[in-house]
Amino acid sequence: MKGTRTSLSQIDTIIGSLLMILALVASSFIVIIAAFITIRGILPFITDNSGLGSVNVLQFLTNTVWLRGTTFLSTAYGAGFIIINTLYIAFLTVLLSFPIGVLTALFIAKVAPRPIAATMRTIIELLASIPSIVFGLVGVGLFLPVIYNIARAMGYSSGGGSSVIATVFVLSLMSIPTITAVAEVSIRQVDESLEQASLALGASPTQTRFKITLLAAKSGIFSGAILAVGRSLGEATAVALVSGNARSGPSFGLFETTATITSTLLQGLKETNGIDYDIRFSLGILLMVVILTTNLALNFIKRKVGNVHG
Amino acid sequence: MEKVIETQELSLNYGDFNALANVNLPIYRNKVTALIGPSGCGKSTFLRCLNRMNDLIDNVKVEGIIRFNGEPVQGVGVDVIELRKKVGMVFQKPNPFPMSIFDNVAYGPRQQGVKNKDKLKEIVEKALKQAALYGEVKDRMNESATRLSGGQQQRLCIARALAMEPEVLLMDEPTSALDPMATQRIEELIEELKKDYTIVIVTHSMQQAARISDNTAFFLLGEIIEFGLTSEIFANPRDKRTEDYITGRFG
Ligand SMILES: Nc1ncnc2c1ncn2[C@@H]1O[C@H](COP(=O)(O)OP(=O)(O)O)[C@@H](O)[C@H]1O
Ligand SMILES: [Mg+2]
Repeated sequence: MKGTRTSLSQIDTIIGSLLMILALVASSFIVIIAAFITIRGILPFITDNSGLGSVNVLQFLTNTVWLRGTTFLSTAYGAGFIIINTLYIAFLTVLLSFPIGVLTALFIAKVAPRPIAATMRTIIELLASIPSIVFGLVGVGLFLPVIYNIARAMGYSSGGGSSVIATVFVLSLMSIPTITAVAEVSIRQVDESLEQASLALGASPTQTRFKITLLAAKSGIFSGAILAVGRSLGEATAVALVSGNARSGPSFGLFETTATITSTLLQGLKETNGIDYDIRFSLGILLMVVILTTNLALNFIKRKVGNVHG
Repeated sequence: MEKVIETQELSLNYGDFNALANVNLPIYRNKVTALIGPSGCGKSTFLRCLNRMNDLIDNVKVEGIIRFNGEPVQGVGVDVIELRKKVGMVFQKPNPFPMSIFDNVAYGPRQQGVKNKDKLKEIVEKALKQAALYGEVKDRMNESATRLSGGQQQRLCIARALAMEPEVLLMDEPTSALDPMATQRIEELIEELKKDYTIVIVTHSMQQAARISDNTAFFLLGEIIEFGLTSEIFANPRDKRTEDYITGRFG
């Protein structure tokens, strides 16, 4: 007996250390990636870029034109408008997809008859697993012509339909399944006795769903929204297809062409070199910073909101 | 004595399963009526008939008559929301909403359109006082209700129901999740409340039924075996099965 116990605890120790090593490897990857991007991305600011001169950090962060023309200059790269565009588009995307996603989730979890709910759940899961390039194609083939015509009818010019609104639609299409799936799970987990208490107080089923069910599920619902924001901020290919890749901005008008950090980073990445290549790593740093701070901020809000009465 | 609620030949089926059969029971105004009986005999089912909470369960079929103040409770034309405003309910496990103490109590009136801040404050204070909770929470109205102790949470749930100014309070084993001290406070509270309200309480505890109720109904397998004054039922039960149950020979 004694022998068995020792060998069991030895196995425990071995597995424990194995897991520890795996965790260390995984987390060191993150550090390595971040360090690599950061070191490469700093180069344009600290070297003279083969004679072009070093890029001024402040100008890079605040200027509103990104390489008009074909001459690479150390002063040609201003990412200020790109940062604003990126946040603006993520904001609009959440504004559009959050209510739709949450209401769909509420419908599936609480209102739809069982067979319909099951079907919708399957569709949502399928949609959530579709690669983003497919959404990009839908955007190009379906949204762009429609938006182009609508814009023209309204007297706006739009770059073939490539626009803020097309980008927001494509990103929303991608985000809604994620928001719905996550929200639906947390809505279904809400303690039924809370809903019963509400109904027993004379609240209608609709009041109960909006005031109690959503409230009790808010932490999960918020998590879904955070995932969606992350996806919107990080999506490159689909955005590059429908944004119009504007070279200046910021673009607030819905029919204006736009550009995000990721789409700018991606544009012509393979065909270029020198400063024009290196500066994309600087955009990579920006992207990491934007995603990290957004995530921290949203998690902070989530904890604030979740803790008040949770 | 005035009957607030009355059932006649009430039967209820969950699908093929018969949970209540031929239940005839009067509920008298300003009295505490205790429903006792072994687990699964239909006490909760009966209670849920009185505020139509069984509507939420699929495949439920109710037959017979239930009257509240002489008006039928069953039927499509009945305003369920009006009924539930008048017949409040407290559940077995304390279930405060994940919001502040104040908002919990104000929830019911708010859903009925009460918006005025002073009016709400007045309603909330009155309900909390009636539920003997005001003194403990008056300085922390904006704190989360989920931070209260179990006994306080249950009194909050009672206050939440009282805020609707119901006539009847249905309580389904309201102390079964509480410690003896908290249980005693709720029992004292029920004693107070019956001056203004009619109370129907399901309980597992014979002592509790004996202590707090005026009338007792003994359920077995969906039927009422015996109904009468609590003092009489406990002193000399007419039915052998009642006697066996209250003396603890089964249950
Ligand atoms: N939603 C339901 N669906 C099917 N059967 C149920 C449901 N609720 C209760 N029952 C059954 O009805 C009987 C009475 O239940 P209940 O009223 O909860 O009893 P009690 O409260 O006296 O313990 C039990 O046999 C129980 O299994
Ligand atoms: Mg029960």
